[in-house]
Amino acid sequence: MLRLAIAAALALACGAPAFAQAPAGKVTIVTSFAKDVTDPYKKAFEKAFPGVSLEVQNRNTNAAVKFIEETRSANATDLMWASAPDAFEVLKAKGLLMKYQLKITGLPEKVGSYPINDPTGAYFGFAASGYGMMWNERYARANKLPEPKEWSDLAQPVFFDHVAIAAPSRSGTTHLTIETILQGEGWDKGWRAIKEIGGNLRQVTDRSFDVPEQVNSGQVGVGIVIDFFAFSSQAAGFPVKFVYPSVTTIVPANIGIVANPPNRAGAEAFVEFLLSPTGQEVLLEPSIRRLPVNPATYAKAPADYPNPFKDARFAKMISFSAEKSETRNDAVDTLFDQTITFQLAGLKAATKAIHEATAALAKKDNAQARALLAEARDAIAATPVTEAQAASAEVRGAFTGAKEKTARQAELEQRWAGFAKQQYATALSKAEAALKLAR
Amino acid sequence: MSAVVGPEKISARGSAGLRAGEAALGLSIAAFLLVFVMWPAASVVYVAFTEKGTGAFTLVNFHDFARTDLFVRSLWNSLYVGAMTVLWACVIALPLAVLTTRFEFRGALLIQTLGFVPLIMPPFVGAVALQMLFGRNGTINLLLSDWLDVKIPFMEGLNGVIFVESLHYFPFILINLSASLRNIDRSMEEAAQNLGSSGFRLLRRIVLPLAMPGFAAGASLVFVKVFDDLATPLLLNVKDMLAPQAYLRVTSIGVADPMGYVIAVVLVALSVGCMALAALVTRGADFATAQRGGGGLARRKMRRLETVMAYALVTFILLLVLSPHIGLLLLSFATIWSFSPLPDAYTTAHYARVFSQSALYVKNTILYASLGGLIDIVVGTAIAWLVLRTKLPFRHWLDRGATAALAIPGVVLGIGYLRAFYDVRLPGGVPLATLWIMIVLAVAVRRLPYALRASYAALQQISTSLEEAAENLGATPGRALRRIVLPLMTGGILAGFVTSFATAAVELSATLLLVQSNSDAPLAYGIYVFMQSPAGRGAGAALGVIAVVIVCACALGAQFAIERSQTVKGDPH
Amino acid sequence: MSARANPPAAPGRAVDIEIAGVNLSYGGNHILKGVDLRVEPGELFAFLGPSGCGKTTLLRLIAGFNAADTGVVKIAGKDIGQLPPWKRDVGMVFQSYALWPHMSVRRNVAFGLEERRLPRRDIARRTEAALELVGLSAFGDRKPSQLSGGQQQRVALARTIAVEPKVLLLDEPLSNLDAKMRVEVRHELRSLQQRLGITTIFVTHDQEEANAICDRIAVMNEGIVQQVGAPMDIYAHPANLFVARFLGAANIVSGKMIARGGERAFDIGEGVLLPVPKDKIIAEGAKFVFRPQDALLGAGADGDIAIPALIRGCAFLGSILRYRLKMGAADIFVDAPFHAGHKPLAAGEVAVLYLPVNAGRWLAG
Repeated sequence: MLRLAIAAALALACGAPAFAQAPAGKVTIVTSFAKDVTDPYKKAFEKAFPGVSLEVQNRNTNAAVKFIEETRSANATDLMWASAPDAFEVLKAKGLLMKYQLKITGLPEKVGSYPINDPTGAYFGFAASGYGMMWNERYARANKLPEPKEWSDLAQPVFFDHVAIAAPSRSGTTHLTIETILQGEGWDKGWRAIKEIGGNLRQVTDRSFDVPEQVNSGQVGVGIVIDFFAFSSQAAGFPVKFVYPSVTTIVPANIGIVANPPNRAGAEAFVEFLLSPTGQEVLLEPSIRRLPVNPATYAKAPADYPNPFKDARFAKMISFSAEKSETRNDAVDTLFDQTITFQLAGLKAATKAIHEATAALAKKDNAQARALLAEARDAIAATPVTEAQAASAEVRGAFTGAKEKTARQAELEQRWAGFAKQQYATALSKAEAALKLAR
Repeated sequence: MSAVVGPEKISARGSAGLRAGEAALGLSIAAFLLVFVMWPAASVVYVAFTEKGTGAFTLVNFHDFARTDLFVRSLWNSLYVGAMTVLWACVIALPLAVLTTRFEFRGALLIQTLGFVPLIMPPFVGAVALQMLFGRNGTINLLLSDWLDVKIPFMEGLNGVIFVESLHYFPFILINLSASLRNIDRSMEEAAQNLGSSGFRLLRRIVLPLAMPGFAAGASLVFVKVFDDLATPLLLNVKDMLAPQAYLRVTSIGVADPMGYVIAVVLVALSVGCMALAALVTRGADFATAQRGGGGLARRKMRRLETVMAYALVTFILLLVLSPHIGLLLLSFATIWSFSPLPDAYTTAHYARVFSQSALYVKNTILYASLGGLIDIVVGTAIAWLVLRTKLPFRHWLDRGATAALAIPGVVLGIGYLRAFYDVRLPGGVPLATLWIMIVLAVAVRRLPYALRASYAALQQISTSLEEAAENLGATPGRALRRIVLPLMTGGILAGFVTSFATAAVELSATLLLVQSNSDAPLAYGIYVFMQSPAGRGAGAALGVIAVVIVCACALGAQFAIERSQTVKGDPH
Repeated sequence: MSARANPPAAPGRAVDIEIAGVNLSYGGNHILKGVDLRVEPGELFAFLGPSGCGKTTLLRLIAGFNAADTGVVKIAGKDIGQLPPWKRDVGMVFQSYALWPHMSVRRNVAFGLEERRLPRRDIARRTEAALELVGLSAFGDRKPSQLSGGQQQRVALARTIAVEPKVLLLDEPLSNLDAKMRVEVRHELRSLQQRLGITTIFVTHDQEEANAICDRIAVMNEGIVQQVGAPMDIYAHPANLFVARFLGAANIVSGKMIARGGERAFDIGEGVLLPVPKDKIIAEGAKFVFRPQDALLGAGADGDIAIPALIRGCAFLGSILRYRLKMGAADIFVDAPFHAGHKPLAAGEVAVLYLPVNAGRWLAG
């Protein structure tokens, strides 16, 4: 029944006349972007196409996906416009996006090493953003925090309880960042690095925007954020600074035409507009500040504007395998939640003890304590599943509901959480023992 | 005393015609609840009873719930926070309610109204404002660490949740308790005084027990609301409570995990259970003010010292509970406010920015919230009447069904509405779910329990003999309801309307999914849109302030009406 | 419907009430047990009994607020059991008055007329007439809470009679008034009822009230009608011990029936025997009952039974002296008229008690 509906929708989408009519009327767009982003585009688009009006419906990414899904039977939405690539992947998998062949040419395939467009033509990147660290200067001064430069700086004792990140299960872009670290460093080293930062976390927020909000408000010192959040905060006057680490991650912002759009001509026109030189230039506005995917646009950018096509920091970004990411998407999110988000108290207690023991050791060395401390660090870094297991059919089946009976998601979660709790308790006792020896 | 062996209990007055009318009313309310609460919710929540992948019926998910430490911990945390919040909400509400209803207290009306404002917490901005004041680096802690080098963790962990929830939800107790206190016949109090009881003992032994129905109504609302609230725990970064667990799971993209819905089912079941318990506690407590046309409690004059202390106490409490709104006001005028006790500078630019757009939002908000409130008091009063005044079988299930709406997470209801009504097409092919009236229905359903509890408490306090006298003089039950019961319930009904209206005005979770175009959007949606970017914080706060002011104005109007109806009913002096 | 409220409806219009075989239970409590009663047209009839006897339940049954399990209630020969309260045309004054606090006195009184959809002019006229009838014309604009208890009671009455019901039911109408008011108002009630000629049932637990104004009384206890009759008949001839005890003061003397040489005697202990008339049928376990004023102290008439009794004490009640005596094993009271200068008998004296042959009765429980 459901499959039939998807097939029908696809057939309709593909079978529709390919020639574009002149756009007119109302173009309805569902977006997670803020008014600061959508308003300039609305103005520019309506100016470029007189007689067309852009109806913007602001929803958070989850609500937008649910909305398109639930209203498919009489779709009233033309476009989906958001950052998180995983949201587009979900829509694509459900046949809710229309395949479209871009008319505009001459745009690069990749920004950094990340492919800009979906290979099947279901959605298109129109802007890029880099991940980095944003901190509140007043907060840093009051708490004597140094300026962070690399991801690993955030694992330093001085940053304990001062860092915030969005949960990767809640933020598609954060998920990309975590996945990038895991692919770049390898599974075990990657998780070790993530948990070392994790032990210093003040907060794991459930919305991407909460991280810059918390930094702006001065409730946390440093946030792991997408660059434009920092740029627009600076533009709004908040005393915040931002830095790309030497290995940053590039995340695209995407647009896709919803399957069976009520105003197909208008929808196509908007996609083309977004990628046109005029549309790309809008990205340079201070309230938006995203990185255009058209290299030519950077000519018009202010002097200090980062250019991923030239900047060495972006070029360094390790090659990213989308397939690898896809196979273990749920496992990585759930691992993060079960071992960090929901075990934050235990993780922080162990991390704090390690920091204290490390400081004590620096004053008075003790080989046995050093060994214990290493064991404590290893205990924290340990993962309940290997890389291969995380991508295995059994684990994937638990999340998607496989035909053959495997462990249920709840069972896996309980197992992983129990593992983490146990490990953190071990780490805590070892670190405390190390501290005792060091004194 | 004459021999009335429970007159209302053996009252089986009745013609078949009347019972048919009651049945018709009961059935239409049941239909309303089925269509607008149960069906949409069930269309989403049924997942809790299915096996992932196959979709086969199973209860294994509940087994998993009980076996997962995180969920069990969340359950206990939620229960603990709910109970403690009720306690602290009482500590805040009791002095305000008693002082304003039992004493001659200048500004009682103002206090009753201001005491209600904390319920109106605009989404997102309210949270930011609270952080700016009470957060780790909020105004108070920055000042404290400057002066004394200490910080008080107001907003840390479960205790932080209890703190914020108490400030936020105590008005439920205040409103219901005040209404109850006003309805107590002064002869009850006088009788106790006559027997040598006075002061605090009088309050504890006579006045408060008599106000029990109102208190129980308010306390159970607070408990259930806290139990189901997800905004506050998420704001405070407390994730191991039930409501945030359900929310985080239900709203993760593309995850078909039944556990979120299992938690939703657990939430609904526990909430209904809690309400049933509250009903059990007040059952048999027939505190109807029968004789002599009410009159209310005698208001006592305070001595000078008492007056000073009372005003100091009230001022302190009001400052505390209104601090989020004070913060909001500061935020809306702030240029930049970051890691400092007060904003760097002030500006009216945010108001200028939202002014042009807010008219539409305001109009929509008032339209939706007042229609929603209206639906709530009609349905709520009807349910209260059926439950308390008829012998209709299964009438308690109407109460429970309506109460369950309180516990259905907003996003679940929003998705449910889309799922249930999007495929219902109007002539012309317009999906039913796209009409703005669906937003009204969604907020009405979500706020129905407030109005229901208020109507219930009001009706409980009206003696049945007043209706019987009307019927005896030839009025049908319907006419007696209209001419006698409803006018006497006015205070309670208005209180219910104000609560429903005010909280509906800042409703977001369900509306976020149901808003189909900007022209249909309410204020809460506007705030959400602004609060998505750093530059929109001030503008969002300004819109939040506008929302609060408008809702307050409406609430104040209603309060005036309540006071007037009280003086009409009551004492001539 | 006649548009006339004052002067009252002609007595000829008065209806009778018939209650037959009424049983009512609630939750296992048998509250009314086989009640049979007939109230004559125009009669002022009292349901009299202690708390919990079922009298108010029976009244509410007539008004339609309770439903009987079995039995019928007929007004003017018509079974009203299936009629809802608002169609019964039975006026009831509630013990609490049940005045609506949100309406003025006038609106309260007009309510029933409005519900009958009378023309506005008639409503106004009859409302004023009813208010005048109870002497509250000047209080029409007040709220019930601004009236005294007696005034509230009269409003409740006016509200009920304004609709000219077929039957008037009064549920302890005087219980919320002070003693002096109660006596006053009960006579007002009586004269009003007689003027209106309306069949009226009056529920009370106060025998004096019932005796003073009612034509007939039904004494009820534990859901059973114990006795029906005119006040004096019931007083003089109580049907059983309960009635004797409940109506006025009664001496109840326990004893044993013994045979003594072909004759019967009632042994009341300590060697005192009361002669028993030959033809009297006396139930097993019956007790001897007589009123305090029935016996004479000191000097009696011929044929009276003379019994020695020990004076224990004496209470001065104004017009009478009430002696406490020991007669046989029983403690009893005997009244003697008081005259100025009269010296009461002293405690400890033995007096002779003269009891007219027909004054005492043997009654079973």
